[in-house]
Parts: sequence; structure tokens; C-alpha cells
Amino acid sequence: MRIVTMDPASCVACRNCEYACAFQQGRTFERRDSHIRVSFYPEDRVCIPGTCLHCEQPWCQEVCPAAAIRRDPVTGAVVIDAERCAGCKMCLLACPYGAIRFDSRARVARKCDLCGGDPQCVKFCISGALEFVEAEEAFAFRREGFDARLKELVSQARGGRR
Amino acid sequence: MSPRQVFQTLCRMCDDHCALNVYLEEGRVVDIDGYQGHPWNRGRLCSKGRAAVDLVYHPDRLWKPLKRTASGWQEIPLEQALDEIAERLRAIQQRYGERAVGVWKGEAVGFAQQEDLARRFIHAIGSPNYFSNDSLCFNGRWIGYSTVHGAWSVPDYEHARLVVLWGANPPHAHPNMTQMIMRARRRGARLVVLDPRLSAVARQADVHAPLAPGTDGALAWGLIQALLERGAYDRELVEGYSVGFPQLRAYAAAFTPQRVERETGVPAATLSRIAAAMAEASPAVVNYVGNGLEHHENGINNIRAVACLDALLGALDRKGGNRLAEGFPSNRLTLYRERPLTALSPIGAERFPVLYGMRRECHTMTAMDTILSGRPYPLKAMLLTAANPAMTNPNTEKVTRALGALELFVVRDLFLTETARLAHYVLPAASFLERSELHVHAMFQVVTLSRKLLSFPGVQDEYRFWHDLAHRLGAGAYFPWKDEEELTRWLLEPSGLSLERLAEHPEGWPYQPIRYEKWREQPLATPTGKVEFASRYLKDLGYPEIPEYRPPAYRSAPDPEYPFVLVTGARKLLFYHSRYQNIERFARAGRNPEMEMHPDDAARLGLADGEPVRVSSRVGTIQLPVTVTASNEILPGTVQITHGYRQANVNLLTPDDVFDPISGFPLLKALQVKVARADSAAAPG
Ligand code: SF4
Repeated sequence: MRIVTMDPASCVACRNCEYACAFQQGRTFERRDSHIRVSFYPEDRVCIPGTCLHCEQPWCQEVCPAAAIRRDPVTGAVVIDAERCAGCKMCLLACPYGAIRFDSRARVARKCDLCGGDPQCVKFCISGALEFVEAEEAFAFRREGFDARLKELVSQARGGRR
Repeated sequence: MSPRQVFQTLCRMCDDHCALNVYLEEGRVVDIDGYQGHPWNRGRLCSKGRAAVDLVYHPDRLWKPLKRTASGWQEIPLEQALDEIAERLRAIQQRYGERAVGVWKGEAVGFAQQEDLARRFIHAIGSPNYFSNDSLCFNGRWIGYSTVHGAWSVPDYEHARLVVLWGANPPHAHPNMTQMIMRARRRGARLVVLDPRLSAVARQADVHAPLAPGTDGALAWGLIQALLERGAYDRELVEGYSVGFPQLRAYAAAFTPQRVERETGVPAATLSRIAAAMAEASPAVVNYVGNGLEHHENGINNIRAVACLDALLGALDRKGGNRLAEGFPSNRLTLYRERPLTALSPIGAERFPVLYGMRRECHTMTAMDTILSGRPYPLKAMLLTAANPAMTNPNTEKVTRALGALELFVVRDLFLTETARLAHYVLPAASFLERSELHVHAMFQVVTLSRKLLSFPGVQDEYRFWHDLAHRLGAGAYFPWKDEEELTRWLLEPSGLSLERLAEHPEGWPYQPIRYEKWREQPLATPTGKVEFASRYLKDLGYPEIPEYRPPAYRSAPDPEYPFVLVTGARKLLFYHSRYQNIERFARAGRNPEMEMHPDDAARLGLADGEPVRVSSRVGTIQLPVTVTASNEILPGTVQITHGYRQANVNLLTPDDVFDPISGFPLLKALQVKVARADSAAAPG
């Protein structure tokens, strides 16, 4: 399956992903409607995007008393059936990443459903911090970045400049 | 469900030209997202692009021409409006002379062919007075760079090992550059951001150096000196392809790290760290200068100093440096060869000969004075398209008075803007989805044809408007093309590309493979054909030959009555100058407008986040909420207000009589102001 990967080393907390998600959920650009959240800590200059990782053994699903959480057979996304959701908020407690939010207007829990396989947050991510990739390849960019730096150091050590 | 169709075109909600998928149902745009196939944005898009849907079908959009009458706006048919406008233009030209008419082209229709159509029109009817938003954007950097390199080079992010951003915040101003910079970082490039604010891009900087507004030149000279001291400069380029190196070397000597620290506030250690990073990464160093350097009293020379740095680093037209882009070969729409009209004293040409001489740009601030004074000659009519100077030019009070004093003022826009409200006629304009035009991505040397996806009765594209008016004024011979499509075919002729071929390539057509180090084979486009550390051209006009540094007035002659320094014009993601404020979803997405202030300053004034403040300069006063930032988000003593908000228009504070002497750009980013609680008894009267 494909998941949304998040790279805090590229995120500039511009909030385009939040706007795109809010637009998908409720045709607004309001943060509270978004399933993806970017935390920005100015003093530390740290930007952390956060959304559901669609765990193999979803804690939210295990804890849900209404059996409202299941895995979408096509996209592999862990999704909430709003019809079945009783609004008990157990899943919010269970998720270690805080990726589930409570919609107090509809009185149900809501979370990322990968937009049915075409996640909007990624398409509106202008920094490239978000990518929609096969889970097996996820975070390959980390290795690439590390390789690039190492390559440079090794080549410098060998006396090559570029 | 009705069938959904998808078409590719390019976005023009800002000047980034991202490739779009536009989804239509029954001829109506229902959604927009990014088109994967184009090398420019690789399928990514910012939120403004999507909001084009809101813009096109906005309930306030104008669909009929409006005429101002004693009893208010009256809707009239388009043909009648054009007839009446032509009639009145003719009368004004007969009475006051041809040059009594000007055109003013705004940012909202973009540049390239739309700009050149306006330039063509005004010369075709015998006046040299072409004005645009470029009296206060872009030209400053173009001039600064061109006097040194012969062109404004483009950043080669894809191969850079060090990216240095000077007063530029791509995530908000050129959103699509962000992914290029971050890709470079993932490959190991370092990022240095020079900005008095912790801008969005500075959040990822390896080094963020908050420097005092307007002092960039001192920092650039400090870096030049540091590189010279280390001997870390490109001898081949300097010895074989430059002029003025001895003068540069002599002037740089005074810029010791200690002096630079005093001038800029950047610690000496940070300066050497940046210099070391530059030396290490050279020549694969991108220096990208943003709008932040243009709006200062010494703006051009500060920019020139950065351009000199490029050349020293050997980054000029080298892989991973600043590349000299090759232009797309197309026919030329302007009439500067056929009808130069320079003897007619274009407005501002005498006062700012470089702005006119290098850019054929008249000076909008001088135009306001000319309208009001009638000197040196009457300027009585203005045809303005896609601009909103009543919000975006400095000294709003004067702009409003001047534009309101015209005998004929015609405005084309999608909305009844603050500027349009001053007009005699307002004509409904086409959005970018209602025209087709050529777009060049110079960074990739790719040309793309955008597609006309919508049309509305009575709403003209730019070409049709100029064409119809020119034909009414006896200048029809200059506008022979039947429509935009025919015009584009003519523009394409020298390229050998057909319109059909281009239309088949929504991913763009690479018109010329990218080459580096072209200065080896062909002279640069400077007077000497070389890198000009010293410019004879500027010297002959009475300006310093090398880019000398002058500290901003708030530092050299501070006025104790106005203790804060105000930076205006930092970009916001969802707005573009004064545009998109009327998009509901955007207006609700954050605090708008706001004045950013350091927490220590706020504490001293007893201000809590969100409280209303009064900000005053010697020009005017406005009131708006304060946003108290984190302690590293803005320099103490500095405040920032973004322009374009009708509820609190910062240009009510900006002066229109303090300029960079070379470009004529107004001082907008280092104003002396005072700040007080809005309810305070001590507030100015
Ligand atoms: S950056 Fe945003 S507004 Fe600008 S062209 Fe791209 S999508 Fe459009």
C-alpha cells in the first residue's frame, strides 16, 4: 500500500496541506477541518507535519467499541465509518500520534482516509516534505540525503572537490 | 453524474506559472489541482491555484461595463463604452497632446506578451507613457544584476551546493521554488537565509542571519572582503572577464567583520561562517535576491554588491550557480525601434534615467505628481489594466487624489477595486482561464502555451481590448491580428514552433538545451561585455561607479519621534498583493491584517497579542491588531505589516518621495514609525 510520508527536514509549515485537507473535508480553508496538522515551534525552528500512518495493527481500530474502524480494501487506509461511530473518543485516546480528531459539530471521530487513494495534502505540498509512496520505499529519501552527504565527505577526503 | 473533463493549462494566480489540471463539468470549472507532467511544479500546487475556481465565479465579479454618472454607476454595452472611451481619448490628445495619455499595466495580467501589448498600444497612439507595477517590483533586481552581469541570472537550484536567500521567502512569494530548494537540501546543499524576520523558508535554514533592514549591502561587502582575504575567488573569471576589480578590492577593505557587525547586527562569527560555506561550495552557490532588497534608499547598490559576489564566487553561469538564461526566440511586440518617442519626455525618464533607459519604464510615483501639477506637461488620461495602485502604490492619499483628478480614467478588472472606484469607466476583464498565451520558464528553458478554457459574453481578453481601442483611434495597423490565437502564431514565427505543436505539449517544450559558462564564447550584455564590478554607465550618470554602501536613514539619522522601523510587504501565502482578499475561504483562514512585533517591544508597550495598535509615520496613521511573534521571529525594534488590506492599508503610511536614486524604487521596507495602543490617551491626533 501507499502511505503519506512526512519529512520534518523539508517542511516550512506553510500550511498548504492543512488548507488542502480542510478543502477536501469541508470546502473550507480552516485548520480545524484538516486531518493533517503541522506543528511549528518557532524558538526551536522545528516544523512537524503529522497525519495517520495507517498502522498494520491500528490501535484505534482495536479499541473501537462500535467496530466503526476498518481497513479500506482498495487503498489500505484505516478509515472511520461515521455512520457507526458512537462518538466515544476512545480512538483519540488510543492513537499514539494524535492523528484522530473529534468533530464536535457532527459528534463523530474523523481521520485521514487517504482521499480514496489520491491524498490532497501531498498534491498541495509545495516543499516536497509530503510524498505519497509505497510503504516499502517510504523514507528512502532519508537514505538518499544521507548518501549524498556521505558521498561528498568521502570524495572530499579523497581530494576531489566536486 | 455529468462527465468530468480535465484540461491542462498554467496557473496565473501568481507569477510562478504552475501547471494545472482544470476539471470541468458542463463547461464549468469544478476543481483544480497540479499537473504531474510539467517539469516546473511536478504536480504540486499552492492553495491559491485551487482558489481560481472561487475567483472565476465570484459573486462580485464584473460582467458588464460600468460608467460613472452623476447618479452612480450605470451599466452600459461594451461597444458603447469603447466608443465613448475612444472619443474622449481623441479629444484629450487633440487638446493636450498625444503624451497626455498613459497606460498602466498591473501584475494581475502578468508580463511577457500582456505587458508588451500595453507597451505597443501606447506607442501606437503616440505617447511614450507606459507605467506598470514594475516601478516598484522586479526592475530593481533586474537593474542591479544587469549592470553587473548584463542580465538577471536565474538560480540553478537543481545543482546548487549552497543556497543563499537575500530578503526572499519563496514559500509565500514564489511557492514553487520551495520544492527546488528543499530538493537541493536533500541532496546535501546548505541553506542560508538573510532576513530580519524568521520567514517560512528560514525555518529550515542551516543559518538564519537576521540583519537590520536595508543593510544587506554591508553584509555583501563583508563577504566580498572575507573571500578576497582568503583568496577564495575565481581568478579566471575575475582576471579574464571583468572590469573594476581593483576598485572593488580597494573599497571592500573597510568592511571588516567588526564593521559589518556594527552595520548589520550580524555577528562577525556568522559572517565568517557564511563566507566559509561560500568558499567551500563555490562555484555551485546560488545567491537569490528577493523583493526585500529593492525597497530601500540604497537598494540597487546593495543588489549590485550581491551580484559582484556571484562573479567572485565563479557562480555566474556555472552549474549550481546563477545561470544566464537564454530567451525564447519570438517576435517583438514593442515599438521602441519603430516609434521610440523618447523626444516626448517620458514621465520619470529625466529623473530616473536608468529605469527608463534600461527598462523603458515610466515612473508611477512621478506620474502622480505630474497629474496633480500639470508639470512638465499635462497627463490627463490613464488606461489601467489589472492594477490596484490605490492599495499598492505608496502614499495612498496622494494616489487617490491624483487618479481622481484625471479627465479620463479607465480601469479593467475582475472586481470593483479601490482603484476602479475612482474610474470613469470600469470594464470587465478576463481571468487567466479566459485567455491563451505563451509562458516561458526561463529556469528550465521551456515554453508552454496556456489554454483558454472559459469565455463569457462581453468579457474581453487583453488583446481584444487593445485591438478594439486601437482600431477606433486610427492605430489599427499596429493590431492586425484577428484574435489572440493569430497573435500567438505571429509571436511564435522565429521559433519555428507551431501553435498546434505547442498545444499538444502541456508539459512544455524545451526550446533550447541548457548551457553553462557562455561568457567564454560570447560577451555579456553589459557595455564592456564583461562583468562590471565598476560601471562606467552609472558613473557617467552621476552615480557611484562601484556599488557603494550607504546605511539606511533610520540608522544614520534616526528620528526620535519615530522609534520603530517598519518593514512592509512581506508576502502571505493566500494573498497576492491586494488580490484574493475577497475569497471567503481565504479571509477566514488567519488573522488579517496584522502588525508583527517582537515580544520585548510588545511588553514594553504593554501590548498583548491581538490588541489593536495605532501605527503612524510622517505620512499617515492606521490601526490594526498586533501579532506578538516569538522572540526569534522578528528583530526587536522592527515591525512588519503586509500590504494590500483595505481594512488597514499600510500604504497610508508609506512616503512617495524617498527613492533609491538609481531605480526610483520607493522606500517601503525601512520606514520610521511610532506605535501606540489604539485606545491610549497618548495616541497621536
Ligand atoms: S505558486 Fe500557487 S498561485 Fe503561483 S502559479 Fe503556482 S499554484 Fe498558482
